[in-house]
Amino acid sequence: METTKAQTMIVRFARNGFGGRVAATSLMLASVLSGSVDFAKAACIVQDEPVKAEVAPSPNEAVLNAQNQRIEAMERASRATVAVYGTDGQGGGSGVCVSADGYVLTNFHVSSPFGHRMRCGLNNGTMVDAVVAGIDPTGDLAVLKMVGRTDFPVASIGDSDTVRIGQWCFAAGNPFVLATNLQPTVSYGLVSGVRRYQYPSGTILEYSDCIQTDAAINPGNSGGPLFNIRGELIGINGRCSFEKRGRVNVGVGYAISIKQAMNFLGQLKSGRVVDHATLGFTVTTETSGRVAVSNILESSDAYRRGIRYGDEILRLGDRDVATTNQLKNILGIFPDQWRIPIRFRNESGVVETFIRLQSLHLPSELEEIIKGESAQQKPPRKPQEKDKDKEKQDTPKEVKPAAKDAVDELYVEKRGYSNFYFNRLELERILALQATQGRWQDTSKAWKLNGEIQGENTNVEMLLSDENLIFRLGDKTETLHPSQGWPKWIKQRSSIGALMGMRIWQQWNRIGPRLMGEAVYLGRNPVVGREGLLDVTRITVSDFDAMVYTSPETGLIQVVEVFSDKQTDPVELFFDKYETVDGRATPRTVRLVYGLEAQFAIAIGTIQVGEATAGSGL
Amino acid sequence: MQYFNTTSVIHSTAIVVWLFISNFCLALADRDANVVINNEALIATSQEKVVKLYGAGGARGLESYQSGILINNSGHILTSWSTVLDVAKVRVVTFDGRRLDATMVGMDPQNELAILKVDDAGLVGFDLNKAAQGSTGQRVFAISNLFGIATGNESCSAQKGVIMASTSLTTRRGKTKSLYQGRVYVLDVMTNNPGAAGGALVDLQGRLVGVLGKEIRDEQAGIWINYALPMDVVKSSVDRILSGNTSSQISELKPVAQPHRIVDLGITLIPDVLSKTPPFIDQVREGSTAQRAGMQTNDLILLLNDQRADSRKSLEKMLATINRADSFYVLVQRGQELIRIHVRP
Repeated sequence: METTKAQTMIVRFARNGFGGRVAATSLMLASVLSGSVDFAKAACIVQDEPVKAEVAPSPNEAVLNAQNQRIEAMERASRATVAVYGTDGQGGGSGVCVSADGYVLTNFHVSSPFGHRMRCGLNNGTMVDAVVAGIDPTGDLAVLKMVGRTDFPVASIGDSDTVRIGQWCFAAGNPFVLATNLQPTVSYGLVSGVRRYQYPSGTILEYSDCIQTDAAINPGNSGGPLFNIRGELIGINGRCSFEKRGRVNVGVGYAISIKQAMNFLGQLKSGRVVDHATLGFTVTTETSGRVAVSNILESSDAYRRGIRYGDEILRLGDRDVATTNQLKNILGIFPDQWRIPIRFRNESGVVETFIRLQSLHLPSELEEIIKGESAQQKPPRKPQEKDKDKEKQDTPKEVKPAAKDAVDELYVEKRGYSNFYFNRLELERILALQATQGRWQDTSKAWKLNGEIQGENTNVEMLLSDENLIFRLGDKTETLHPSQGWPKWIKQRSSIGALMGMRIWQQWNRIGPRLMGEAVYLGRNPVVGREGLLDVTRITVSDFDAMVYTSPETGLIQVVEVFSDKQTDPVELFFDKYETVDGRATPRTVRLVYGLEAQFAIAIGTIQVGEATAGSGL
Repeated sequence: MQYFNTTSVIHSTAIVVWLFISNFCLALADRDANVVINNEALIATSQEKVVKLYGAGGARGLESYQSGILINNSGHILTSWSTVLDVAKVRVVTFDGRRLDATMVGMDPQNELAILKVDDAGLVGFDLNKAAQGSTGQRVFAISNLFGIATGNESCSAQKGVIMASTSLTTRRGKTKSLYQGRVYVLDVMTNNPGAAGGALVDLQGRLVGVLGKEIRDEQAGIWINYALPMDVVKSSVDRILSGNTSSQISELKPVAQPHRIVDLGITLIPDVLSKTPPFIDQVREGSTAQRAGMQTNDLILLLNDQRADSRKSLEKMLATINRADSFYVLVQRGQELIRIHVRP
């Protein structure tokens, strides 16, 4: 067929004095055009006149458009791609900027060798200082914060759940730390697999639900972005299958899904050492194909929600479960303490519920791991070739005086944290939000609340003061210490839980979380029955923990949970229908829930808060 | 090294070509606005015809898994002939996660290909009559279970690439450890990883263009070669195997009264310690029939009269069917060479 024509072409090219390289190209082009793309045949008509280079067929307009679209997507995507270096300009990896104020997603194994301080190279050729915020050693993620600008180019976030095998994608980054001018290297490829599970190899690093690509991912690409063909961020490149071929790309690279990264972003911005989760039970895939519970902790939330040995797990986190790998895949994308939907089948039928995920590690275990990883990993070396000296010159050097202060201001060392500064920062953000909803600091220490149980005509009265807490429900009265002895009531699932929730709400508003106990910002968690993710702060008070869920938009408390211990369902008090009363946002109803079971809702009549100057008497 | 010089030129041009072709593909996308979906559909359809195989191995860098291709609708699976297949039943896992046991139909040592069969499970395979010839510069997709990444109903991995050259592996004789010395498509993508052997190379219409070969590494340069066997080579093997020329149906043959015996031939095999001890020649006696025929120490006997001798036991069984007075052929593997030996009594 066209092969003969193609050959003719070669002969002619050769006669016209072109080298073998051109001949080879034309042979391939000709074969391509003739062999695989039919409509291109038309463009490949061999002319009878001697062929000159200028008369090469002009490219199809559609081809050029497609190319231009790709170029545009790659340019756009490259702007948000950063190169990560140590402070001396050595070592390195990649990252991607996800917020205009400079938060960068990268791999934990990229940031860990550098300590808390590093430098990020931007696509425009400038270097900025950066500091590590939170780390996730298990999921191999870290969040850095670049300093000095509030208008960093941001990657647009894609939907990794819609990624399919066979789609085009491209990786951007700093392979082999080549980008001395800080321009990211782009490698184009195919999505080779989705929802891949990669067993931990020697370390605790576990890649679950990741995207596999044949786009070249090499050392130095780590932490960098994987984009879909539209230039939307779908993953964070992190791991390759290497085995015996040395540490270069072998056509198999893995990216952590952007879904997982976004699930963890809130937690990572908290400056904590973030943990992954366990379900509190294990499963096996039976020969019949059932994924069945093979072991369950009686202290787990899953057990309290009714899951038992032998039950079949059907769905988790809104995805079907057909194999153990799928279950691990789904579980791996969630931070600990998240509450996610589950569907299981027991003898009496199918049950849909939510379970609270437990931490995978003890805090001490995570600490050990971080120590180990940091000691083990030396920053990846630059290529050892002849250009070594030249590279050293080219690599941007540390700019010392002013920059150092800027980063130091953003770093607070604290045991158990990657960078405690960010925990304080997030808590301040929440409190600043809340402050816009009215001043509670001026109120007196003693508040009085009146209301009634919805649908029951039972009066409710709460007296909240630093001396004691009094709860009147109909004709019953209970007294509670303002900050101790709560667990025994929680274990009884007492209705006095509503009083506890209100006390936390009162104190949070009046004195703020830091004076209530040890307050830690955890990140963003979902809440049953609420859209989106809420900011979560945990306050440890004497013998109980309170978790306070606030809206990231308004800063208003949405839910307060009070935990006695791990074996017991906490108090959950939901705050609904906020209205502004005397210039302060006040809920009109609160709902008490224990373990997903609604106890009652209180329609709040009045809350008398007095004025601080008026003393504590009511 | 001449080969490699050529390759590097081809490589750089192949990249140019690659960019060129991918544009065409995107152009197609613009035309019917769904080439991405086409790609997905093409790979999804093709990957249903690729199976994951599990067998012997797991030690000393030998993987116990590889890939296979359904080559018709009757359950025939084409794969690379390797140590993975040295088990009574090879475990086949289909795209939908079904686990089936396959039996060996036959193998072709020349092309290092083998055909397995699973009982009719309603599996749809590639149509070999529609298989296509690949050409240099052509874009292809490779689908295999490289590194054993996919398990159960998980999809095999897909990679994109370009046929960089259509050449012969004999060029590389002495430098690479490959039994197969025939024609191959050299690919620009890292396809031939552990477990990829037996995977499919398909064109943009989803037609089978080649079968991924085993891992080959240039001992001197340390470079791994990515290649596939062209379909004409593959089809010749398939025809030979399916026509029964290389069958392994020992049971059909009847022992004769005065057969050949290993000891009479003058060879000692390595001790029979495994359920399937490979028939390696440990010693050849001076002046024996075997020595006269040209057999040597460390030869691995592969075929006896074109039948597969996969173990010492099966070799003994097969010899028992040949009359002592008759001559026979053996195919032995000596290092990286295949040698056909005529043994005359």
